Amino acid sequence: MIARFAIVAALVGFARAAWAQAAPDAEPAAENENDSDGYTPPAGGPGAPPLSIDGYIDVGFARAQGDGTSFSPNDTRLPVDYGVDTFAPAVNSRGDVASTEHGDRLVNGFLPRSVGIGGRPSFLLNVVALDLKYAAPGAPLTIFTRLLGLPRFSDQGDASRFLVEQAFGRLIPFDSLELAIAVGKFDSVFGIEYLDNESNIRTGITPSLIARYTTGQSLGAKVFYRLQIPAAWSAVSINAAATNQGTFVESLQTADASLTGEPVLSARLGYELNLPHVQMKIGASGSYGPRNDQSDRGAKLQLHGLDFRLAVAGVYLNAEAVQVDEDAGAAKTTPSGPQLVASGFHARGFYAQLAWAIAVDAGPLHKITPYARYEQRQAQFEGFDRITVDRITAGVRVELWDSLIVKGEWLVNRELAGAPNVANNVQTASVVYSW
Amino acid sequence: MVRTFIVCAVVVSISGAARAHNAKDWLGEEMPLPLAVKTPQDLAVKAVAERQYLIFNLLAGGKLAWDAGDFATAATKWESLLRVPNLDPEIDHVVRPLAVAAREHAGGAAVASAPSAPAVNAKPAAASTPVVAPAPRVLPVVVSGTIAGGGAPGPGGAVVWLKRSNGETPRPAPAHGKVISQKGKAFVPHVLAVPVGTKISFRNDDAIFHNVFSLAKPNDFDTGLYKQGATYEQSFHKPGPVQLLCNIHSSMIGYVYVVDSPYYAQADGSGAFTIRGVPPGDYEIEVWHEGSSKNTRQHLTVGVDGVRGLDLRVGGDRRPPEFVPDKSGKPRQSHLGY
Repeated sequence: MIARFAIVAALVGFARAAWAQAAPDAEPAAENENDSDGYTPPAGGPGAPPLSIDGYIDVGFARAQGDGTSFSPNDTRLPVDYGVDTFAPAVNSRGDVASTEHGDRLVNGFLPRSVGIGGRPSFLLNVVALDLKYAAPGAPLTIFTRLLGLPRFSDQGDASRFLVEQAFGRLIPFDSLELAIAVGKFDSVFGIEYLDNESNIRTGITPSLIARYTTGQSLGAKVFYRLQIPAAWSAVSINAAATNQGTFVESLQTADASLTGEPVLSARLGYELNLPHVQMKIGASGSYGPRNDQSDRGAKLQLHGLDFRLAVAGVYLNAEAVQVDEDAGAAKTTPSGPQLVASGFHARGFYAQLAWAIAVDAGPLHKITPYARYEQRQAQFEGFDRITVDRITAGVRVELWDSLIVKGEWLVNRELAGAPNVANNVQTASVVYSW
Repeated sequence: MVRTFIVCAVVVSISGAARAHNAKDWLGEEMPLPLAVKTPQDLAVKAVAERQYLIFNLLAGGKLAWDAGDFATAATKWESLLRVPNLDPEIDHVVRPLAVAAREHAGGAAVASAPSAPAVNAKPAAASTPVVAPAPRVLPVVVSGTIAGGGAPGPGGAVVWLKRSNGETPRPAPAHGKVISQKGKAFVPHVLAVPVGTKISFRNDDAIFHNVFSLAKPNDFDTGLYKQGATYEQSFHKPGPVQLLCNIHSSMIGYVYVVDSPYYAQADGSGAFTIRGVPPGDYEIEVWHEGSSKNTRQHLTVGVDGVRGLDLRVGGDRRPPEFVPDKSGKPRQSHLGY
C-alpha cells in the first residue's frame, strides 16, 4: 500500500512538471548507439573515375519576323552587312541567326552563322556537346576537351559542322596557391559572358549583342591567379592570356593559326566580395594585339571592358560594357572567304540582365527563373554610317529533374539610328538535356 | 540530492514491499497507464508519466528479482534501465553498480565499468526460493546487411536508417565531437551521417584558405573564408542531405546526411552496415546514397533476434555535377580552375 502510494505520488509530481512544459514530444531523445565516423573513399579504391564524360543536347524552336535577317529589302548600301546589325535576329545559344540571306548584294564578311530558317517557324537541333575531362590521378593536371556538333539541316544556312571548341591542359602547380596555368584552345579571359557560353549554363537562350566581341575561343596559354582576403570576405584575381587570335567569336575569326606571328594579349582584373548572402564581382578587362583577320602586323585590335555581377537571395544582376577598336588593315580573310577591305572598326555596347531564380522543388520542378535583359550597341566601320541598335529580351528558364532545362525567350530588336527599321523580332525556345 | 533521496527511498520501500507482498500483485506491470488523452497537455503528461513509470518499473523490478535470487532478470532490468535515454545521472550512479553485481552473480560478463557492491542493504535470497519475475519487455537487437549499387564509386557511404511504421520514431540524441576536415582540397570524411541537432566542426587542414557552404535549404549555411587550423561550427536541425561545397575550389564536394532516427548506420566500402539498439517491431528502412537520385525504401519487420544479411540496393544514376554552383547558386565550370 505504501509502495502504491509512493508510485501515485511520484506520478502526480511528474504530471505537474509535465503540465508546465510546452514540449509535447511523444518520445524523448534516444541514446545514440549508432554514431558514425563517416565515410571517405579509399585512395586508389573505387571512387570518381579520372575520366568524366559529360555533355548536353540543345533542341530549339524559333520564329523570326520578316525574312529572318536584319537586311532591309530597300537598303542598297554596300557592303550591306556594314549598314545593319547582322547578328540581331539570333535564335539560339550559339548566336546563330535565322538567316543571312542578302540576295545579290555585296557583303564583306561581318556575318554570323545562320541556321537558314528565314521567317519560317522551325525546330532546330542547335548543339550536341561532349565534354571530356581527365584528372590525372596523383597529379595536379587536368585535360579538358569540349567537342561541339552543330547539325544544320537547311541548305539556306551554314552547313553542319563539327567543332573542337576547347582542348587544353591545365596545371595547378602549387597546393598553397590559387594558380592555374592552361595551354591549348580555351575560353576567352575577357569579361564575364564567356562563363555562360553553353546552353546548360546560360540563364537565357541567346548571347548578348556584345558577345560576338568577347566570348570566342583561341589557341595559346593563360594564367589565372587569385588572392583571398578573408578579413574582408574578398578576393582579387587576374586572368591573363596570350593567344593566336583575339576574343571574337568563331564566326568572325579565321583559322586558329596566327596570321601575323604576334600574339594577342588579354587580361581581366577582378575583385569579388563573397558575403554569406551577397556576392558581388567586378572586373576590368583589356585586350591588345594584331587583328588577326588580316596579315598586317601594324593593324591593331584593342578592347576595353567593365563587368559587374551581384547576387542577392536568388536575384542576379549581370552587366557588362565593352569598347572595341580595330585599325584598318590589309585585305582580310573571313570564314566566308577573302575580302577586299579590312576596314577600321569601332564599337561599344553594354547589357544588363536581371534574373530571379525561384526554388520550387515540387516533384520534378526544381527552379523557375524569369529574366529580362536590356542591351545596346553602337558600331561603325570607318567610312560608313554609325549604327545604333538595342534589344529587349524577356524569358523564363525552368529546371526539371537534375538534367532538363526548358527555356523560352522573346527578343525585341530595334534599329535606333544609322540602319533601316526592320521587322526582326524573334521568339525562340530551347530544351537542353544534360548527361 | 532530493532525487537521490527519492530514488533510495523508492528502492528501500520497494524492498520492504517485496517482502510484504506477492510480486504478482505489484502494480508495476500495468502498462500502458490508463490515462485519458484529450489534449496535447494530456499527451505530454502521459508521455512523461509513462517514462517515469518505466524507470520506476525497471528499477523496482530489478530489485524484486535480486531479492528473489533471479540475478539474470535483475541484471537485465537494470541494464535496460541504464539504456533509457537521458537517464538522471543520480539514478545511473545508484543503479550501475547494482547492475554490475547482478550480472556477475548471474554468471555473465559485467557490462558496466567499475563494478562495486550493491548499494542497497539487501542480500541475495536463496536460489531455491525464486520469485518469477516478468520477462524483459523488449530488448534492442541488431539490423545488419549489405548495400549494393551506387554506380562507379560503389555503395560506400550510403546512409541507412529505420523509422517506425506504427508509432513515432524516437527522437535521436545529437552526436558529439563530429569534425569534417578540409584536407587536400577534399572534405574528410566525404559523407557523414549525423542525427538531427548535431553540431559539426568544419576544420581547415590545408595550407590555403577554404570556405564551406551549402545551398541545401533549410540546412543552408556559409562559413565564410577561414585559414589553416581554423574551425567553424554548424548545427543541423532538419533531416535530409546537405551538399557541402567550397566557394573557392569548385572540385570540392562532400555530404552531411541528417537523420531523424536513432537507428541509422553508414555503409563501409563494401556496402556492409550495422544498426544497433533497434527494438523489435515494424519499420520502414530507407537508404540514401550520393549517386542515387531516389532513396531506396522498403518495409522491414524486426524480430526479437534482429535482422541479419539484409540485402539492399541503391541506384547509381546520379553522377557528380559537371557544373558545381558557387554560393550564389551560379554554376561554375570546374575545368577553368576557378
